[in-house]
Amino acid sequence: MPPIVTYSEEELVSLLQQQSREAFNYLYDRYGAVLYGVINKVVYDEHISQDVLQEVFVKIWNNIAKYDASKGRIYTWMINIARNTAIDKLRSKAEIMKQKIHTGEDVVDNIGGKMKTEQATDTIGLREMVAGLKPEYQTIVNMAYFKGYTLDEISKTLDIPLGTVKTRMRHAIQLLREHFSR
Amino acid sequence: MNIKEYIESGILEAYVMDALDTKERANVAANIAMYPELAAEVAAIETAMQHFAEATSQDPPPYMKEHIWEAIQLETTKNEPSVAPKVVAFPPENTQKDNGWARAAMWAILAGSVVTNFMLLSSNKHSQGNLVALQQHMDSMNTQQQQLVSSIKAYQKERSMLMDTSMQTIVMHSMLQGHDMAGMVFVSKTKGDTYLALHNLPMPPKGKQYQLWVIKDGKPVDMGVIPNDMVVIEGGMEKISKPFTGGQAFAVSLEKEGGSPVPTMEQIYVLGKMSS
Repeated sequence: MPPIVTYSEEELVSLLQQQSREAFNYLYDRYGAVLYGVINKVVYDEHISQDVLQEVFVKIWNNIAKYDASKGRIYTWMINIARNTAIDKLRSKAEIMKQKIHTGEDVVDNIGGKMKTEQATDTIGLREMVAGLKPEYQTIVNMAYFKGYTLDEISKTLDIPLGTVKTRMRHAIQLLREHFSR
Repeated sequence: MNIKEYIESGILEAYVMDALDTKERANVAANIAMYPELAAEVAAIETAMQHFAEATSQDPPPYMKEHIWEAIQLETTKNEPSVAPKVVAFPPENTQKDNGWARAAMWAILAGSVVTNFMLLSSNKHSQGNLVALQQHMDSMNTQQQQLVSSIKAYQKERSMLMDTSMQTIVMHSMLQGHDMAGMVFVSKTKGDTYLALHNLPMPPKGKQYQLWVIKDGKPVDMGVIPNDMVVIEGGMEKISKPFTGGQAFAVSLEKEGGSPVPTMEQIYVLGKMSS
């Protein structure tokens, strides 16, 4: 049964600190699919994604004491753990270099590469939404969000000034914000 | 610090997406703690990123839940002070020599190979399926793009016509009671170009066609027949091939295919006077 109760951010944190089965059930039922989706979008491999999902839950479980509410929401914190763990997995598989070179080429107009990041895992909504972004915004969102590049790395890989990377990132997220506020 | 500029710089987005290095991150965190405007902006970005993540949401296989719970418990017990390891004696090996194990190993290898082939085959099929889906997706995107390009061209044309101050618009009203029909003629007085748009006119019966007329000094002058596809396309606008040389009114009548030398008065569908 999916949980009928929803907890606020603070309630969730204290619930997790109890480390009970009930806490785990809530955490998993509420966030499992979101985190799994994020992971799958990074690694594109269901088997690896499942390993990563397990790793992510263990990390959340063990690091809940270190979570600092002043640095951002626990939801964002969990999403970033999922992304970073998935990205680390890719890097550890020594695939990251391939990925980087690949993405660097994609930037111009390699449809194949771009589509790959939106493989079957996508819901239609997201595909339309990301496709609705201009290519230069898409690339930056994909690189930062799904590939874990820092702004500096994006700037160097794409050979665009750092300021431009930042403003494009801002515009892209503005567009996403408008999309979701509709 | 200029808060607005700081927000516009995009650094907060990078902060939420964890795309900053340690030093920058600490810097931004300090700023957020200091300025409530920044905190509010960060909260909005976080919400957007949550929605973004939720849009990719995907259910893990059902067995994962128990699997992960077990892993968590295993991890937690590992961190606790460990109990002295229990030594388990292995049962004595079977020393009896026969080649049964070799046969078993061969079977195992064979079975493994069959399974692998099957898996490769099905994953290949899966990729091909994906490829076909991607191609279809691209095709539909190409079609959409072509449609967009043509509608943008149409808009650009309309816009340039609207911007043209020498362009006069004549609205033609329905002459048949109870029929909500209309037509519009756009005439450029300087160039003599004429455009026509029709609204709600019924498709002409077989052997018939609409014809455009300009009434000049009380006499109808033929402006050409109207192709039927133009009647079908709602909102379409066509350039009339014959130039406008002056007149006081426009009319559209239903005539025999190919047009008539003079309009059939009782078959005039829409009519509009030019403002002088």
